[in-house]
Amino acid sequence: MMQDSIQKFTFLALGFFAVLSGLMVVFTKNPVHSVLYLVLTFFAITGEYILLNAQFIAIVNVIVYAGAIMVLFLFVIMLLNLNKETEPHKNPYLKFAAVITSGLLLLVIVGSLKAADKAIATPYPNTGDIMQSLAKVLFTQFLVPFEVSAVLFLAAMVGAVMLGKKEIK
Amino acid sequence: MVTLIILSALGILTLFAQVLRFKKALFPLILVGLATALYFTLPQYNNNPSTWFSSMLGFDNYSAAFSRSIIVIAFLWFMMARNYFLQETSGTDHFALIIFSMVGAISMVSYSNLTMLFLGIEILSLSVYVLAASDKGNILSNEAGFKYFLMGSFATGFLLFGIALIYGVSGSFDLHTIRTSVATHQQPTMVLMGILLLLVGLCFKASLAPFHFWAPDVYDGAPTPVTAYMATVVKTAAFGAFFRLFYTCFPDLIEQWSNVLWWIVALTLFIANITAVRQTSVKRMLAYSSIAHAGYLAIAIVSMNGDASARSILYYTLSYSISTIAAFTVLYIVSRNSGRDDFGAFEGLAKTNPFLSFVMVVAMLSLAGIPPTAGFFGKYYIFQNAITTHNTGLVIVAVLGALVGVFYYFRVIIAVYFKPEQSNIPVTVGSLHQVVLFITTLLTLLLGIFPDWVLQWI
Repeated sequence: MMQDSIQKFTFLALGFFAVLSGLMVVFTKNPVHSVLYLVLTFFAITGEYILLNAQFIAIVNVIVYAGAIMVLFLFVIMLLNLNKETEPHKNPYLKFAAVITSGLLLLVIVGSLKAADKAIATPYPNTGDIMQSLAKVLFTQFLVPFEVSAVLFLAAMVGAVMLGKKEIK
Repeated sequence: MVTLIILSALGILTLFAQVLRFKKALFPLILVGLATALYFTLPQYNNNPSTWFSSMLGFDNYSAAFSRSIIVIAFLWFMMARNYFLQETSGTDHFALIIFSMVGAISMVSYSNLTMLFLGIEILSLSVYVLAASDKGNILSNEAGFKYFLMGSFATGFLLFGIALIYGVSGSFDLHTIRTSVATHQQPTMVLMGILLLLVGLCFKASLAPFHFWAPDVYDGAPTPVTAYMATVVKTAAFGAFFRLFYTCFPDLIEQWSNVLWWIVALTLFIANITAVRQTSVKRMLAYSSIAHAGYLAIAIVSMNGDASARSILYYTLSYSISTIAAFTVLYIVSRNSGRDDFGAFEGLAKTNPFLSFVMVVAMLSLAGIPPTAGFFGKYYIFQNAITTHNTGLVIVAVLGALVGVFYYFRVIIAVYFKPEQSNIPVTVGSLHQVVLFITTLLTLLLGIFPDWVLQWI
């Protein structure tokens, strides 16, 4: 019981932290600070994954998002020399409309999640090693999506090379 | 399944053309590969669909018919776009991306699991994002690619959120499991939220208002052959996926979501047709016309009437795509000749090239929905289903929209036939383009006379 409530408290605290740093990403003027707050958000979400007993995704999240992608972000900001507060001023009507619509979306989502008092989906049976059971699902039931995502990555690579290289006729 | 494997292999083979020095043989090879892939979509499944790999993909008459339609359109498209890609770019990587995007399109019409839907949409979109930006020296093309990419990823976020909520309720990505679970479920708020978010994602991909803002800029900025691809193959695949999802998963909740879609369709028809009238560029006019046609197609989803609706969507997408390929081919030839793509470029075309102007007239008549072209029967079947399912209000909006449509399609015809010519430079048409224009015009007329050729596929 004690352990349960500690877990619940940690989960809520991490969620609060994630939302707070997510808001800071948007509100800070300096792009470098935004990126650093985004790293914080990713770490908070990683904590949530661990509490949900999804250690593998937690590690992947740290390595791929907080590690690789955020470094790329920082490189782009550095190379394009964006670390100045040069954000163009936005139309106030546009801001107003954005606040109204996203507020409504939030309201509807919160309402729909509140109506569902418990999760209906049963958690995947946790038999022993998490990595093992994940790999088992990935290579049996979800084999085709796994293979087809190879086409997706190949298309992405070809596209990146195509846009990056000089045109040879 | 064999079709998917052939197309993936063909895409990889295409990539090697530059290195292994068979670039001369590449184009015939692609056409042969597409014909082979088409051959494997021919078997009829009737009532026993074949599911593959723990029912990730399910092939039935519906998916076979849409795969066939996609491959036929892509075949015509390759003949149209060959000269542009081989003369102005390195060719191989562009062709490879198109073939990969077809892999995505085929999995979008034959999925029976939401993961395959998501992957299909992503493969298709990612390739098209890059192709839209492929004219690297042109700032409009860069803008098109960037805009499409940013907004497309945002819409994908909505789609994924919707899938997650549906999974939270049903505990499965499988379409049939979702259907039974959604139908028997006691607390539908979360399901409705999921459906709404899926609707937002799919409406973006199908460019329905109010999620259509990207379409005119992207269609206008992208190179003309790429625009033709987006307006035909991408649209066919998007509606194939859209209908399959709502037909298989959520027919029991139709009263809830059809209300939302009703307003989306009415808004699309109104905005697209009114805005198309004000365009001065033919390319931009065709972009708005493609949004309007998305509106007509979505009527078939609102008036869900079993296989009859599936047939009407199939026939409409095929006839619309064939006419659009013809229109974009003429636009490409004319704008290449005169260096501009406004209505003025078409003035007096009837005197300099009667063949091109005849093709353009048939294409415009078909897009406007004038009998005896295929476009008329496409609209006829869709309206018929809408009236059977008591959506008469939507039919009235659509007919009014079509009347406005007649106005802007006829502006092209008037420019072609009743205006004095601008220049005396004769417009020349390459032999491959002549073949495309001949086939598309013939098909537009023949499908109008024998609609059963396509309707019996499902």
